[in-house]
Amino acid sequence: MKNFSHPVRAYIVGVVGLFALVGCATVNTAERAQPVGRRQMVDDKRIITDAGLERRVRILGISESSGPGGLLKVQVEVHNSTRSLQRFNYKFEWFDGDGNLISTPTSAFLPREIEGKESLFLSATAPTPQAHDFRLKLLEEVR
Amino acid sequence: MLKHLTIVAQRKLGVCLCAAVVLAGCGTTGSTRVDSSGGRTLTTVGEINMQDWLIAADTMVNSLRDNFINAGKLQTPPNKPALLAISRIVNDTGRHIDSDLLVKKIRIALHQASGGKIVTSTTVGIGGPEDPIAEEEQRRARLEGLDPSRPNYTLSGKIIPQRARAGRTQEFSFVFQLSLTKNPEGFAVWEDERAITKQAKKGAITPW
Repeated sequence: MKNFSHPVRAYIVGVVGLFALVGCATVNTAERAQPVGRRQMVDDKRIITDAGLERRVRILGISESSGPGGLLKVQVEVHNSTRSLQRFNYKFEWFDGDGNLISTPTSAFLPREIEGKESLFLSATAPTPQAHDFRLKLLEEVR
Repeated sequence: MLKHLTIVAQRKLGVCLCAAVVLAGCGTTGSTRVDSSGGRTLTTVGEINMQDWLIAADTMVNSLRDNFINAGKLQTPPNKPALLAISRIVNDTGRHIDSDLLVKKIRIALHQASGGKIVTSTTVGIGGPEDPIAEEEQRRARLEGLDPSRPNYTLSGKIIPQRARAGRTQEFSFVFQLSLTKNPEGFAVWEDERAITKQAKKGAITPW
Protein backbone atom coordinates (compact mmCIF):
# COMPACT_ATOMS: atom_id res chain seq x y z
CA MET A 1 0.00 0.00 0.00
CA LYS A 2 2.85 2.33 0.81
CA ASN A 3 4.35 1.72 -2.69
CA PHE A 4 1.14 2.26 -4.64
CA SER A 5 0.18 5.33 -2.69
CA HIS A 6 3.30 7.08 -3.92
CA PRO A 7 2.03 9.69 -6.44
CA VAL A 8 4.87 9.31 -8.98
CA ARG A 9 4.51 5.53 -9.16
CA ALA A 10 0.76 5.84 -9.54
CA TYR A 11 1.27 8.35 -12.37
CA ILE A 12 3.71 5.99 -14.16
CA VAL A 13 1.35 3.03 -13.81
CA GLY A 14 -1.48 5.13 -15.19
CA VAL A 15 0.51 6.27 -18.23
CA VAL A 16 1.71 2.73 -19.00
CA GLY A 17 -1.83 1.42 -18.70
CA LEU A 18 -3.08 4.14 -21.06
CA PHE A 19 -0.48 3.22 -23.69
CA ALA A 20 -1.41 -0.46 -23.35
CA LEU A 21 -5.07 0.30 -23.96
CA VAL A 22 -4.36 2.56 -26.97
CA GLY A 23 -2.42 -0.24 -28.73
CA CYS A 24 -5.18 -2.83 -28.26
CA ALA A 25 -7.90 -2.16 -30.86
CA THR A 26 -10.04 -5.25 -31.37
CA VAL A 27 -12.60 -6.19 -33.99
CA ASN A 28 -16.35 -6.44 -33.48
CA THR A 29 -18.39 -8.38 -36.02
CA ALA A 30 -22.02 -8.73 -37.06
CA GLU A 31 -23.49 -11.39 -39.36
CA ARG A 32 -26.64 -13.41 -39.93
CA ALA A 33 -27.72 -15.35 -36.90
CA GLN A 34 -28.48 -18.31 -39.18
CA PRO A 35 -26.02 -18.24 -42.10
CA VAL A 36 -27.57 -19.20 -45.43
CA GLY A 37 -24.34 -20.48 -46.96
CA ARG A 38 -23.30 -23.92 -45.84
CA ARG A 39 -19.60 -24.60 -45.61
CA GLN A 40 -18.38 -28.11 -46.22
CA MET A 41 -16.06 -28.58 -43.28
CA VAL A 42 -13.21 -31.07 -43.40
CA ASP A 43 -11.45 -32.92 -40.61
CA ASP A 44 -7.88 -31.76 -40.19
CA LYS A 45 -4.71 -32.96 -38.57
CA ARG A 46 -2.56 -30.34 -36.84
CA ILE A 47 1.08 -30.41 -35.84
CA ILE A 48 1.82 -27.55 -33.46
CA THR A 49 5.48 -26.70 -32.93
CA ASP A 50 4.97 -23.05 -32.02
CA ALA A 51 2.46 -22.86 -29.20
CA GLY A 52 2.76 -19.09 -29.09
CA LEU A 53 1.78 -18.73 -32.74
CA GLU A 54 -1.08 -21.17 -32.21
CA ARG A 55 -2.45 -18.90 -29.49
CA ARG A 56 -2.06 -15.79 -31.62
CA VAL A 57 -3.35 -17.27 -34.90
CA ARG A 58 -5.62 -20.18 -34.10
CA ILE A 59 -7.16 -22.32 -36.82
CA LEU A 60 -10.89 -22.53 -36.19
CA GLY A 61 -11.86 -24.73 -39.12
CA ILE A 62 -11.22 -25.74 -42.70
CA SER A 63 -13.81 -25.92 -45.48
CA GLU A 64 -13.54 -26.91 -49.11
CA SER A 65 -15.55 -26.63 -52.30
CA SER A 66 -15.09 -27.15 -56.02
CA GLY A 67 -16.41 -25.48 -59.14
CA PRO A 68 -17.29 -26.40 -62.74
CA GLY A 69 -13.63 -26.08 -63.64
CA GLY A 70 -12.80 -28.97 -61.32
CA LEU A 71 -10.39 -27.05 -59.11
CA LEU A 72 -10.48 -27.63 -55.37
CA LYS A 73 -10.92 -24.47 -53.29
CA VAL A 74 -9.90 -24.44 -49.64
CA GLN A 75 -10.80 -21.88 -47.01
CA VAL A 76 -9.26 -21.80 -43.54
CA GLU A 77 -10.70 -19.64 -40.79
CA VAL A 78 -8.13 -18.32 -38.31
CA HIS A 79 -8.68 -16.29 -35.18
CA ASN A 80 -6.42 -13.95 -33.24
CA SER A 81 -7.17 -14.65 -29.59
CA THR A 82 -4.99 -11.77 -28.38
CA ARG A 83 -6.08 -8.16 -28.17
CA SER A 84 -3.34 -6.80 -30.40
CA LEU A 85 -2.42 -6.85 -34.08
CA GLN A 86 -0.47 -9.95 -35.08
CA ARG A 87 1.61 -10.53 -38.19
CA PHE A 88 2.26 -13.96 -39.59
CA ASN A 89 3.10 -15.78 -42.82
CA TYR A 90 1.14 -18.53 -44.49
CA LYS A 91 1.65 -20.92 -47.39
CA PHE A 92 -0.55 -23.46 -49.13
CA GLU A 93 0.94 -26.65 -50.56
CA TRP A 94 -0.93 -28.98 -52.91
CA PHE A 95 -0.64 -32.70 -53.51
CA ASP A 96 -1.89 -34.92 -56.32
CA GLY A 97 -3.70 -38.22 -56.02
CA ASP A 98 -0.41 -40.05 -55.38
CA GLY A 99 0.53 -37.70 -52.58
CA ASN A 100 3.20 -35.93 -54.62
CA LEU A 101 3.81 -32.25 -54.04
CA ILE A 102 2.66 -30.12 -56.98
CA SER A 103 5.08 -27.35 -57.90
CA THR A 104 3.46 -23.99 -58.60
CA PRO A 105 5.01 -20.59 -59.42
CA THR A 106 3.22 -18.87 -56.56
CA SER A 107 3.91 -21.33 -53.76
CA ALA A 108 5.49 -19.00 -51.22
CA PHE A 109 5.14 -17.78 -47.67
CA LEU A 110 2.87 -14.74 -47.82
CA PRO A 111 2.55 -12.11 -45.08
CA ARG A 112 -0.75 -11.32 -43.45
CA GLU A 113 -1.99 -9.17 -40.58
CA ILE A 114 -4.83 -9.98 -38.24
CA GLU A 115 -6.28 -7.47 -35.78
CA GLY A 116 -7.00 -8.25 -32.14
CA LYS A 117 -9.89 -10.69 -31.69
CA GLU A 118 -10.39 -10.82 -35.47
CA SER A 119 -11.31 -13.89 -37.48
CA LEU A 120 -10.36 -13.99 -41.11
CA PHE A 121 -10.22 -16.48 -43.94
CA LEU A 122 -7.15 -17.70 -45.74
CA SER A 123 -8.24 -19.16 -49.05
CA ALA A 124 -6.58 -20.68 -52.07
CA THR A 125 -7.64 -22.50 -55.20
CA ALA A 126 -5.78 -25.58 -56.34
CA PRO A 127 -3.28 -25.09 -59.15
CA THR A 128 -4.47 -28.03 -61.24
CA PRO A 129 -7.48 -30.34 -61.44
CA GLN A 130 -5.14 -33.12 -60.27
CA ALA A 131 -4.68 -31.53 -56.86
CA HIS A 132 -6.66 -33.49 -54.30
CA ASP A 133 -4.97 -32.70 -51.00
CA PHE A 134 -3.46 -29.63 -49.45
CA ARG A 135 -1.45 -28.47 -46.47
CA LEU A 136 -1.43 -25.05 -44.84
CA LYS A 137 1.73 -23.84 -43.14
CA LEU A 138 1.72 -20.98 -40.67
CA LEU A 139 4.89 -19.19 -39.61
CA GLU A 140 5.38 -16.25 -37.33
CA GLU A 141 6.86 -13.06 -38.75
CA VAL A 142 10.53 -13.80 -39.15
CA ARG A 143 11.81 -10.31 -40.00
CA MET B 1 48.06 -15.18 -14.44
CA LEU B 2 45.97 -12.08 -14.14
CA LYS B 3 46.96 -11.80 -10.47
CA HIS B 4 50.57 -11.14 -11.46
CA LEU B 5 49.61 -8.20 -13.67
CA THR B 6 49.36 -4.72 -12.30
CA ILE B 7 46.00 -2.96 -12.23
CA VAL B 8 47.06 -0.81 -15.19
CA ALA B 9 48.16 -3.83 -17.17
CA GLN B 10 44.85 -5.55 -16.45
CA ARG B 11 42.91 -2.53 -17.69
CA LYS B 12 45.01 -2.35 -20.87
CA LEU B 13 44.40 -6.05 -21.51
CA GLY B 14 40.67 -5.54 -21.00
CA VAL B 15 40.58 -2.65 -23.48
CA CYS B 16 42.53 -4.66 -26.06
CA LEU B 17 40.15 -7.61 -25.69
CA CYS B 18 37.10 -5.36 -26.08
CA ALA B 19 38.60 -3.73 -29.16
CA ALA B 20 39.32 -7.13 -30.67
CA VAL B 21 35.71 -8.23 -30.12
CA VAL B 22 34.33 -5.02 -31.64
CA LEU B 23 36.61 -5.21 -34.68
CA ALA B 24 35.71 -8.85 -35.25
CA GLY B 25 32.04 -7.84 -35.26
CA CYS B 26 32.64 -5.02 -37.73
CA GLY B 27 34.28 -7.26 -40.34
CA THR B 28 32.46 -8.42 -43.48
CA THR B 29 30.05 -11.26 -42.67
CA GLY B 30 29.90 -12.79 -46.11
CA SER B 31 26.93 -13.53 -48.34
CA THR B 32 24.26 -16.10 -47.83
CA ARG B 33 21.50 -17.53 -50.00
CA VAL B 34 17.91 -17.17 -48.88
CA ASP B 35 14.80 -18.89 -50.16
CA SER B 36 13.13 -16.59 -52.72
CA SER B 37 9.73 -17.93 -51.69
CA GLY B 38 10.42 -17.67 -47.97
CA GLY B 39 9.65 -14.86 -45.58
CA ARG B 40 13.23 -13.72 -45.09
CA THR B 41 13.80 -11.77 -48.30
CA LEU B 42 14.46 -8.08 -47.91
CA THR B 43 11.63 -5.59 -47.56
CA THR B 44 12.35 -2.05 -48.69
CA VAL B 45 10.09 0.89 -49.38
CA GLY B 46 10.07 2.73 -52.68
CA GLU B 47 10.62 -0.35 -54.84
CA ILE B 48 8.92 -3.64 -55.61
CA ASN B 49 10.64 -6.48 -53.77
CA MET B 50 10.58 -10.20 -54.53
CA GLN B 51 7.88 -10.87 -51.96
CA ASP B 52 5.74 -8.08 -53.44
CA TRP B 53 5.75 -9.84 -56.80
CA LEU B 54 4.82 -13.10 -55.09
CA ILE B 55 1.95 -11.47 -53.17
CA ALA B 56 0.59 -9.80 -56.31
CA ALA B 57 0.95 -13.01 -58.31
CA ASP B 58 -0.77 -15.07 -55.62
CA THR B 59 -3.78 -12.75 -55.60
CA MET B 60 -4.08 -12.65 -59.38
CA VAL B 61 -3.51 -16.36 -59.86
CA ASN B 62 -6.04 -17.38 -57.22
CA SER B 63 -8.54 -14.94 -58.67
CA LEU B 64 -8.03 -16.32 -62.18
CA ARG B 65 -8.34 -19.88 -60.99
CA ASP B 66 -11.46 -19.10 -58.94
CA ASN B 67 -13.36 -16.59 -61.05
CA PHE B 68 -12.34 -17.66 -64.53
CA ILE B 69 -11.10 -21.25 -64.80
CA ASN B 70 -13.09 -22.79 -61.97
CA ALA B 71 -16.17 -20.76 -62.92
CA GLY B 72 -16.16 -22.50 -66.30
CA LYS B 73 -15.64 -19.28 -68.27
CA LEU B 74 -12.74 -20.45 -70.40
CA GLN B 75 -13.79 -20.84 -74.04
CA THR B 76 -11.60 -22.83 -76.38
CA PRO B 77 -11.77 -23.16 -80.18
CA PRO B 78 -12.80 -26.58 -81.47
CA ASN B 79 -10.09 -29.22 -81.08
CA LYS B 80 -7.33 -26.89 -79.98
CA PRO B 81 -6.31 -24.87 -76.94
CA ALA B 82 -7.14 -21.22 -76.46
CA LEU B 83 -4.26 -18.90 -77.28
CA LEU B 84 -3.20 -16.15 -74.88
CA ALA B 85 -1.02 -13.20 -75.91
CA ILE B 86 0.57 -10.75 -73.52
CA SER B 87 -0.38 -7.18 -74.27
CA ARG B 88 0.71 -3.92 -72.69
CA ILE B 89 1.57 -3.84 -68.97
CA VAL B 90 1.94 -0.14 -68.21
CA ASN B 91 4.62 0.73 -65.67
CA ASP B 92 3.78 4.02 -63.95
CA THR B 93 6.34 3.57 -61.17
CA GLY B 94 9.04 5.66 -62.79
CA ARG B 95 11.53 2.84 -62.22
CA HIS B 96 12.65 0.17 -64.61
CA ILE B 97 10.83 -3.04 -63.73
CA ASP B 98 10.23 -6.17 -65.70
CA SER B 99 6.57 -7.09 -65.52
CA ASP B 100 7.47 -10.63 -66.56
CA LEU B 101 8.16 -11.21 -62.86
CA LEU B 102 4.37 -11.17 -62.51
CA VAL B 103 3.16 -12.15 -65.96
CA LYS B 104 5.21 -15.33 -66.23
CA LYS B 105 3.67 -16.71 -63.05
CA ILE B 106 0.20 -15.96 -64.41
CA ARG B 107 0.97 -17.69 -67.69
CA ILE B 108 2.22 -20.79 -65.92
CA ALA B 109 -0.74 -20.82 -63.54
CA LEU B 110 -3.29 -20.46 -66.36
CA HIS B 111 -1.71 -23.30 -68.28
CA GLN B 112 -1.64 -25.55 -65.19
CA ALA B 113 -5.12 -24.71 -63.94
CA SER B 114 -6.76 -25.17 -67.33
CA GLY B 115 -5.14 -28.56 -67.82
CA GLY B 116 -3.34 -27.23 -70.89
CA LYS B 117 -6.47 -25.75 -72.47
CA ILE B 118 -4.90 -22.30 -72.57
CA VAL B 119 -1.43 -21.72 -73.98
CA THR B 120 0.59 -18.55 -74.38
CA SER B 121 1.88 -17.22 -77.68
CA THR B 122 5.62 -16.60 -77.81
CA THR B 123 5.42 -15.00 -81.23
CA VAL B 124 2.77 -12.33 -80.62
CA GLY B 125 3.31 -9.71 -77.96
CA ILE B 126 3.90 -6.05 -77.26
CA GLY B 127 7.52 -5.22 -77.90
CA GLY B 128 8.05 -8.03 -80.37
CA PRO B 129 8.13 -11.80 -80.26
CA GLU B 130 9.41 -13.49 -77.15
CA ASP B 131 10.88 -16.25 -79.29
CA PRO B 132 12.29 -14.87 -82.58
CA ILE B 133 12.91 -18.34 -84.05
CA ALA B 134 9.34 -19.41 -83.36
CA GLU B 135 8.14 -16.18 -84.94
CA GLU B 136 10.25 -16.84 -88.03
CA GLU B 137 8.84 -20.36 -88.32
CA GLN B 138 5.33 -18.98 -88.03
CA ARG B 139 6.03 -16.45 -90.76
CA ARG B 140 7.25 -19.23 -93.05
CA ALA B 141 4.12 -21.24 -92.31
CA ARG B 142 2.03 -18.22 -93.26
CA LEU B 143 3.87 -17.91 -96.57
CA GLU B 144 3.11 -21.55 -97.26
CA GLY B 145 -0.56 -20.90 -96.83
CA LEU B 146 -0.97 -22.21 -93.32
CA ASP B 147 -3.06 -20.05 -91.04
CA PRO B 148 -1.44 -19.62 -87.62
CA SER B 149 -3.79 -19.07 -84.73
CA ARG B 150 -4.71 -15.60 -83.62
CA PRO B 151 -4.90 -14.91 -79.88
CA ASN B 152 -8.23 -15.76 -78.30
CA TYR B 153 -7.29 -13.90 -75.13
CA THR B 154 -4.93 -11.03 -74.29
CA LEU B 155 -3.56 -10.04 -70.88
CA SER B 156 -2.97 -6.36 -70.12
CA GLY B 157 -2.49 -4.29 -67.02
CA LYS B 158 -0.94 -1.47 -65.09
CA ILE B 159 1.32 -0.96 -62.09
CA ILE B 160 0.55 2.28 -60.27
CA PRO B 161 2.54 3.79 -57.39
CA GLN B 162 1.08 5.79 -54.54
CA ARG B 163 3.09 7.71 -51.96
CA ALA B 164 2.22 9.33 -48.69
CA ARG B 165 4.11 10.83 -45.79
CA ALA B 166 2.99 11.76 -42.30
CA GLY B 167 5.59 13.06 -39.92
CA ARG B 168 8.52 10.66 -39.92
CA THR B 169 6.51 7.82 -41.50
CA GLN B 170 6.71 7.29 -45.23
CA GLU B 171 4.32 4.99 -47.04
CA PHE B 172 4.64 3.47 -50.51
CA SER B 173 1.91 1.52 -52.26
CA PHE B 174 2.04 -0.34 -55.55
CA VAL B 175 -1.32 -1.14 -57.14
CA PHE B 176 -1.31 -4.03 -59.60
CA GLN B 177 -4.18 -4.12 -62.09
CA LEU B 178 -4.72 -6.86 -64.66
CA SER B 179 -7.40 -7.61 -67.26
CA LEU B 180 -8.01 -10.64 -69.46
CA THR B 181 -9.71 -9.68 -72.73
CA LYS B 182 -11.64 -12.04 -75.00
CA ASN B 183 -10.80 -11.51 -78.67
CA PRO B 184 -12.08 -10.53 -81.16
CA GLU B 185 -15.01 -9.32 -79.04
CA GLY B 186 -12.72 -7.01 -77.08
CA PHE B 187 -14.30 -7.22 -73.63
CA ALA B 188 -12.66 -8.11 -70.34
CA VAL B 189 -13.75 -11.52 -69.07
CA TRP B 190 -11.64 -11.26 -65.92
CA GLU B 191 -10.15 -8.36 -63.98
CA ASP B 192 -8.56 -7.91 -60.60
CA GLU B 193 -6.52 -5.47 -58.59
CA ARG B 194 -4.14 -5.84 -55.63
CA ALA B 195 -2.44 -3.09 -53.63
CA ILE B 196 0.72 -3.72 -51.66
CA THR B 197 1.60 -1.10 -49.06
CA LYS B 198 4.79 -0.68 -47.10
CA GLN B 199 5.71 1.84 -44.44
CA ALA B 200 9.01 2.97 -43.05
CA LYS B 201 9.73 5.24 -40.14
CA LYS B 202 12.64 7.59 -40.48
CA GLY B 203 15.04 7.77 -37.58
CA ALA B 204 15.71 11.07 -35.89
CA ILE B 205 18.98 11.54 -37.76
CA THR B 206 18.45 9.27 -40.79
CA PRO B 207 17.89 11.02 -44.16
CA TRP B 208 15.37 9.48 -46.61
